[in-house]
Amino acid sequence: MKKQSEEKKYMPEISRREIDELRNAIKATSQKIIAENIERMKKTDINRPEAMQYFDEIANFFGTREKEIRTAKEKGKKVIGYMCLFAPTELILAADAIPVRVNSGWYDTSKLGDRVVPVEVCPMVRSTIGAKMIGLSPYLELSDALISVLTCDGMTKLGEILSDYKPIWTMALPRVKDSTQSMHLWNEEIKTAKGQIEALTGNKIKRKQLKSAIDLTQKATKAFRRLQELRKGSPVIMGRDAMLVNQTYMWDDIKRWTEKTEALCDELEKRARQKIWACPPDTPRVMVTGTPMIWPDNWKLPTLIEEANPQGVLVADELCSSERILYDPVGVDEWSMNDMLNAIGERYLMASTCPCFTSEDGNEDRINWLLNKIKEWNIQGVIYYVIRGCMLHAMEYMRVKKVLDHINIPVYYLDTEYTREDVGQMKTRVEAFLEMLTARVDL
Amino acid sequence: MIMELVGEFLKLTVLAGLAIAGILVILIWKKGLATKVTYLRFVIQVVAMVAVFYLFTYPVWQLIVLIVILVIPIVLGRFFCGWLCPFGLYMDAITLIRKAVKIRYRNLPDKLNKFLHNFRYVLLLFFLIVPFILSLIEPPPSLDFATFMALLLAGPFEPLRILLGPLIPLIVPWAGPLEIGGLYFSYPYVQEVILYCNEVFSENFVTITALIFVALTVIGSFFVRRVWCRFCPTGSSIAILNRLKGFKWTPVLHLDKDEEKCTKCGICKRVCPVQVTEVYEQKGGKIMTSMCMLCFRCVEMCPYEDCLKVNLGGKTVFKSRNWLEPSEVE
Repeated sequence: MKKQSEEKKYMPEISRREIDELRNAIKATSQKIIAENIERMKKTDINRPEAMQYFDEIANFFGTREKEIRTAKEKGKKVIGYMCLFAPTELILAADAIPVRVNSGWYDTSKLGDRVVPVEVCPMVRSTIGAKMIGLSPYLELSDALISVLTCDGMTKLGEILSDYKPIWTMALPRVKDSTQSMHLWNEEIKTAKGQIEALTGNKIKRKQLKSAIDLTQKATKAFRRLQELRKGSPVIMGRDAMLVNQTYMWDDIKRWTEKTEALCDELEKRARQKIWACPPDTPRVMVTGTPMIWPDNWKLPTLIEEANPQGVLVADELCSSERILYDPVGVDEWSMNDMLNAIGERYLMASTCPCFTSEDGNEDRINWLLNKIKEWNIQGVIYYVIRGCMLHAMEYMRVKKVLDHINIPVYYLDTEYTREDVGQMKTRVEAFLEMLTARVDL
Repeated sequence: MIMELVGEFLKLTVLAGLAIAGILVILIWKKGLATKVTYLRFVIQVVAMVAVFYLFTYPVWQLIVLIVILVIPIVLGRFFCGWLCPFGLYMDAITLIRKAVKIRYRNLPDKLNKFLHNFRYVLLLFFLIVPFILSLIEPPPSLDFATFMALLLAGPFEPLRILLGPLIPLIVPWAGPLEIGGLYFSYPYVQEVILYCNEVFSENFVTITALIFVALTVIGSFFVRRVWCRFCPTGSSIAILNRLKGFKWTPVLHLDKDEEKCTKCGICKRVCPVQVTEVYEQKGGKIMTSMCMLCFRCVEMCPYEDCLKVNLGGKTVFKSRNWLEPSEVE
């Protein structure tokens, strides 16, 4: 019996040498890609804000932040990874641990994941499995435990597969949001997670700590919203840059991230006053919705849009890897433990527009989010981005299209894989769409 | 003679003070300092309580207050309940104490809450019917219209005065119904409780029932926010028009919701002191519910700019803001 529990349930046996070889090779390419991505972002926007320098540095997976977490860990701090936005980061922060999101965006590792799961599975899941097989992602390696929220089918099983290596805390997510019993279940899950975090870190989460953790995230939300508000007007920042800023939140130190984002916003405001734009103000304004795009490899769509000819600019998105990370604050009515926990629970469950939810009116919240963004951010066209294997996003396309057709906003379904091979073909498709948008602008 | 004059003078100063407070409130509002509606509401509640306390020394004013309670709601809805009612203030004060000692509140189940809300009409009907039943048991000398009106307005049970119940001040300058150690105490509805108990119980037991009633409401409002407001019969008279579809146009003061801006984060539902669910559930537009007492806590806490709006006569007087402070773009 004992032996069975020690045996790996899913993962194949790979020799030490092969792992090292693969890791070194992929790490080298990855570092090259990170540098190249940043270089291209610099090239697109000649007036790139200076404050972006910090985020470029943090964007390097194998750089300063990894070292920082390593030293913090040596001092006894715990690192808790999570795979979906639903993980209550406030609780992790309150227990004086470091939250990191460990979803993987590496194309090469998704091929390794094929050894464990079939190709039909979501490439992000495969890529995460592959990254774990060779120990590529520093944050995944450093985390002491993983919070796996049972959102989509891929995530549910991903947690199970990764349990070969790490302790996994599952949080069952109700698929219907607005009913008393769902809220009850989810609040209980939050309380359980609190207990688990306390047990791992050895720090009791008290009222004061939780309050200051909520304050921290609220400040981050404030800076985050400020950045998104700035993108409402003429483009002061390229969409890729903003996406990178949003995404670095997933592994950066929250306090420093907030400071740096505020500094970036200050700079952007100054630029807006001086009328220095990142690209011509009449560039078609595009929004992306659909599956997450994770740095560094899965960056091809934003790159294509903003480097295409005619050029487009991303001004908003509805991705759980970007704008949805921090849009909603925790609204606390009374600062009692109970109410704070309820507020955290509500913020994660109710405000989410993930397509894994349904209700009497379908996933109405997502439609409303899109409509609001389109109106407020003056969106001219929407790209519906789906990576093959994400059933939930693909299946919701028709509904979104119908609603957007109704308000005469073109929407384009773009499906792809975790691969670089279809970049040429995607380029043609994106450029055709942007061409159409420019024609509409001219009209 | 001198005391009377002093009394008159006091009343005048209170009125002047009220006027000043009113101006202050308007100034606070205009300056955009209304971000903390809760504090503003508290100030107004205190002022209203003091006002009611002094006004109650004039018997004629009671009638005027009664008329005000019955007429204002046609246009303002249950604004009175949220912002002016003294009993509401007592309950809010108890809530403050609970917050200070960091004890959590409890929610009533939504079904019970809805039932209590409808039960208030039964309560009111009961009090209005009592004099007629009594008149059947003990027929009055004549059965003309005037006698019935007298019974309704000033009969032994003063049925209409039940509507004034929540306005009763805590300590009364005149002989109150509850005497403890030479001091006259008063409390909302205690008069009525004593009156009805007198008919049933012996003398000694009356004070005890009154005290039990006080204890129940105090403990109740300690654990459940605004517990009495959920079935207060005064609120029924106030909200009845909001229930009728044909009268959708009547409330000049109401909440508007923008569906697209709402992400259904559920904050409005959680912060509501009387657990109104309509603000959350309704898809947008004018929010009409007789449960809402227009305290605007939901508007204050909604983190999405312009999602919830308070509309007064077609004008937006207060709206939800990004309370994480938005940036000032250009």
